[in-house]
Amino acid sequence: MVALLTVEKLTKKYGTKTIVDQISFKFGHHKCVALIGPNGAGKTTTLRTLAGLLRPTEGTIQFESQAKNQDIRSWIGYLPQYPSFHSWMTGKEFLTYSGRLAKLTKIEAATRAIELLKVVGISEEASNERISRYSGGMKQRLGIAQAIIHKPKLLILDEPVASLDPIGRREVLVLMEQLKQEMTILFSTHILNDAEEVSDELLLLNKGKIIESGSLQDLQKKYQTTVIKLEIDDSVDIYQEKINALESVANTKIERGALFISTVDLKIAREEILTLAAKEHWPITTFSINRASLEDMFMRVVNN
Amino acid sequence: MQWSTLFQKELLENWRNKKWIWVPLVIILLSIMDPITNYFLPQIIESVGGMPDGTVFELPDFSPSEVIMMSLSQLSSLGVLVIVLLSMGTISGERKSGVSELILVKPVSYSNYITSKWLSLLLLVWLSLFLGLLMSWYYTNILYGTLSFVDFTKVFFFYGIWLTLVVSLSIFYNSIFKSSGLVAFFTILTIMIMSIITKIFHHVLDWSPNNLSIYIQEMLTAEKINGDLWATSGVALAISVLLVLVSIQMFKRKEMAG
Repeated sequence: MVALLTVEKLTKKYGTKTIVDQISFKFGHHKCVALIGPNGAGKTTTLRTLAGLLRPTEGTIQFESQAKNQDIRSWIGYLPQYPSFHSWMTGKEFLTYSGRLAKLTKIEAATRAIELLKVVGISEEASNERISRYSGGMKQRLGIAQAIIHKPKLLILDEPVASLDPIGRREVLVLMEQLKQEMTILFSTHILNDAEEVSDELLLLNKGKIIESGSLQDLQKKYQTTVIKLEIDDSVDIYQEKINALESVANTKIERGALFISTVDLKIAREEILTLAAKEHWPITTFSINRASLEDMFMRVVNN
Repeated sequence: MQWSTLFQKELLENWRNKKWIWVPLVIILLSIMDPITNYFLPQIIESVGGMPDGTVFELPDFSPSEVIMMSLSQLSSLGVLVIVLLSMGTISGERKSGVSELILVKPVSYSNYITSKWLSLLLLVWLSLFLGLLMSWYYTNILYGTLSFVDFTKVFFFYGIWLTLVVSLSIFYNSIFKSSGLVAFFTILTIMIMSIITKIFHHVLDWSPNNLSIYIQEMLTAEKINGDLWATSGVALAISVLLVLVSIQMFKRKEMAG
């Protein structure tokens, strides 16, 4: 199957400064791809270039089997990090206007606007109010609505939840979860929990380069740490020595009352520790195998 | 279809921010100010204390064509300023605020975007000019003597071409700068430089757009449209169209973000 978007050696320079450095990636249909990276990594520049707002210095962007670097605006929807609207318009007017610009007919645009206002949870009453009176969360949801008014195949969102309070953030994440059934979403974030929550694939960007990519599961497997966390309803110090004596254990350390066990072989270590604990009736309260969180993984990749 | 959407949005925006009200009012005010104050000048002088005894001061008798030219003179200075203020943020403001990102990420053609703004401004300016000159013509007729309606329409038409050039210049600078202030500054600066160059090289620059007012006056005096007026209007219109075409190209080359 043809990839939805294929990016090859995309580079964006401002003068001598390289913001995006020869990045290549591709992804298919109905995916939710997170572009993650620290502030200043080049996420916004990458997304703006993909959206056609910036011209690449080098490299190509190809949408499905269209010619490379051609105008792809008809198939994509885009929401900038800080969307700005014609604040003198009402929400409904702005959506209809966006629909008309995306070449929908008058009736299509009006119908789709009403439909989307429901989807993004803007009430009938609020939709007839001027956008200048909208809260940040409402503006963000209206921004998503205008981006999907023409049913794009690819929705590009730049830090869609960064500026929202927890409630607004939850609303937008739920909305993204719904939208991912209908279209591919590419969104940037530096909040790794959000990426972990909704994305299927990850692109890690640092200093303008893609330093890691793949599905969340694959990356977790790749960067999995073999650390067992053990908490005992007692001081862990007295157990540390016994665990250290096990052959499958590399070393141990105590942090905030819990014992963190680095293993030589996780499978054997798990068996040995649990057998020992059962035999000696240790009052265990927590026994967990710490999977690499996206954050750990990110820190490791970036630091490398 | 897309063009009319953009154009209608401009008209609606100008309505919501009251430009359809204040611009015609200001232009009317500028147009009638001189005809009325000149007519009532003796009374005005009297009311502020009059002239010292023995002063003989003859106020000129203005002909109707001179009076309408006074209106044009006001419009050429303050009127141009109003038009520059009115148009200075039309594109640059949208780029600065970021609204243009949401608009131009849709499959909007850049020429539609620019020409819809240009024509909506022209509509507003021409309508305001029509109302302003109509009022000036009305007062000229009741206070100074007859100026035919045909003459009025000719003045309106040819002077409208000058203001079209001003709007086009502003659109041009709008496509270059993100700051409305710079747009206003460069538009005014260009008009001033054009005026200076026309004065210095008047012997060769017969058809400079800055000469339009002079030829309009000649037309009123001679009661016929001479070739220079047609040619100058043609040059002004051609420059206007060229400016818009260049604006579209500049805009295409500009990056919308960053």
